[in-house]
Amino acid sequence: MTAIARLLDDFAHRRRPLRSLGASGQLGYGIPTPAFEAGLARAPDMIGVDMGSIDIGPAYLGSGKMAPTRIGAKRDLRKVLRAARHLDIPLIVGSAGSAGAKPHLDQTLDIVREIAREDGLTFSMAAVGADVSRAEVKRAIAAGRVRPMDTMPPLLEVEVDRAQHVVAQLGVEAFQRALQADVDVVVLGRACDTGIFAAIPALLGFPAGIAMHMAKIIECASLCCLPGGRDTILGVLDDQGFELESMAPGRAATPQSVAAHSLYEQADPFEIREPSGCVDLRQVTYRAIDGRRTRVEGATFEPADQLTVKLEGAAMIGYRALLLAGAADPQFMQRHQEIFAAVSRIVRDLVCEDEIEDYRLGFRLFGVDGVRAWAEPPPQMPREAFVMGECIAPTPERADEVIRTTKQYLLHHGYEGRLSTAGNLAFPLTPPELAVGEAYRFNVFHLMEIDDMARSFPLERETVK
Amino acid sequence: MRLDSIAKVIRSKNAGPCLLTLDVMLPDEAAFAYVAERVGPLRRQVARRYGRSENEVAVLPFRPALAVKITLPRDVVSGDVGDRDVYGAQQHAPLLDIEL
Repeated sequence: MTAIARLLDDFAHRRRPLRSLGASGQLGYGIPTPAFEAGLARAPDMIGVDMGSIDIGPAYLGSGKMAPTRIGAKRDLRKVLRAARHLDIPLIVGSAGSAGAKPHLDQTLDIVREIAREDGLTFSMAAVGADVSRAEVKRAIAAGRVRPMDTMPPLLEVEVDRAQHVVAQLGVEAFQRALQADVDVVVLGRACDTGIFAAIPALLGFPAGIAMHMAKIIECASLCCLPGGRDTILGVLDDQGFELESMAPGRAATPQSVAAHSLYEQADPFEIREPSGCVDLRQVTYRAIDGRRTRVEGATFEPADQLTVKLEGAAMIGYRALLLAGAADPQFMQRHQEIFAAVSRIVRDLVCEDEIEDYRLGFRLFGVDGVRAWAEPPPQMPREAFVMGECIAPTPERADEVIRTTKQYLLHHGYEGRLSTAGNLAFPLTPPELAVGEAYRFNVFHLMEIDDMARSFPLERETVK
Repeated sequence: MRLDSIAKVIRSKNAGPCLLTLDVMLPDEAAFAYVAERVGPLRRQVARRYGRSENEVAVLPFRPALAVKITLPRDVVSGDVGDRDVYGAQQHAPLLDIEL
């Protein structure tokens, strides 16, 4: 009997609250052992972990690489996999490998199989990929079934071709389908983090609104607590609401800290949007059970008439090279904008003698405008500043050529009123130029209407041993 | 009153790659009421400081957390050429000395 079959069977005999363990909000960066083990001692019914997010930027989705190291991901996956198999409860992993495209899912499944081999574990596993074919997206564009999210422009076919990977954020439905394949372990490509913890409640018939609200909170582990942190959290769900308790004694889930979590990385704290509808949080109440536990009730789920998935895609825009340097000259800092502009022109005249201007060169002066493009200059210049030059070019060689030329001419640029005529820059290391590799941008962040999730996102089941 | 003298948390983060969302968390009901009653002036000042028109800035009091949420478009999509803060976690500074 598989772990999910055992759980469903148990509930068929006796309906009771469901105990879910949110082990990690970002698998691969370490799961603190004391809180995780405290959670395992509380007889959980499932373990869930989220591996990804769009907030980490386009490089991972574009390149197919994971954000944490493989070593880190394997260590954490081993911890949750061994625990889930030991207790014989389902393990659910969402947004495999950070960005959840095929290379990320493949790497994650590869790690899971490797752990099973090394540790002598045998179990059944279902995986659902989140990649959407270019043809399907183009058909949807042609049918007027794709619309932009937020400030994105309408999606063009050419952008679909440019994207290295296009993934959809899968919802509860995909997790549910994977569990229904009768397995012990579920691994999904890019997915809504709510699906990880709302799928089993959906199979057991818990109210969708409450379950999704709980899911949205515990996928971040103990981030909803005071102080917030990455320790494991326990969510206990019943038909009226759920109770939250951090498995780290020093972290308290208070009504206000839990309520505040609805603000985190969300434009609208009253709604959670899912492929199949919307969770309404307007009537939610938060009540302290004691100093460390909070009970939450009142979320409702409004099903949508049309299934929609959020598409994410990242396109390569070239190769990046950096110049890293410092400055301590007040004149240089004061006049940095005209100096950067002048040096950019000198560099262009040199590197474009035989070639077109096929690159982008930019500068930031940390201490002045590194973090924000401020509307006004600071009232006074700092004592020191950090100069970052950045070039993005069609080839690594071209980026390197531009940035090395820039280093030379920025170092020796003779601006008016210059006192430090031996050099404008302090190089903290040698070489001061750094080739960073491929650069990417998000070029797809759109909503696509979809009818048949199972056809677009088929699942694969396997026995791992 | 300066915002950083009333609030206990002032933070920023992406809400997706196109939007920046700023949370101003207040320590008690009185402070929350003070800010929530001044949504109009707050929105005006945020728009000016972030170089946006007022209709691009949403200001939403969220009573359960004694917080006011401000959401506006990012200047550059997260991680795109010219972006300076991929996670958007350090874009709160222009709020600190807003007078309400």
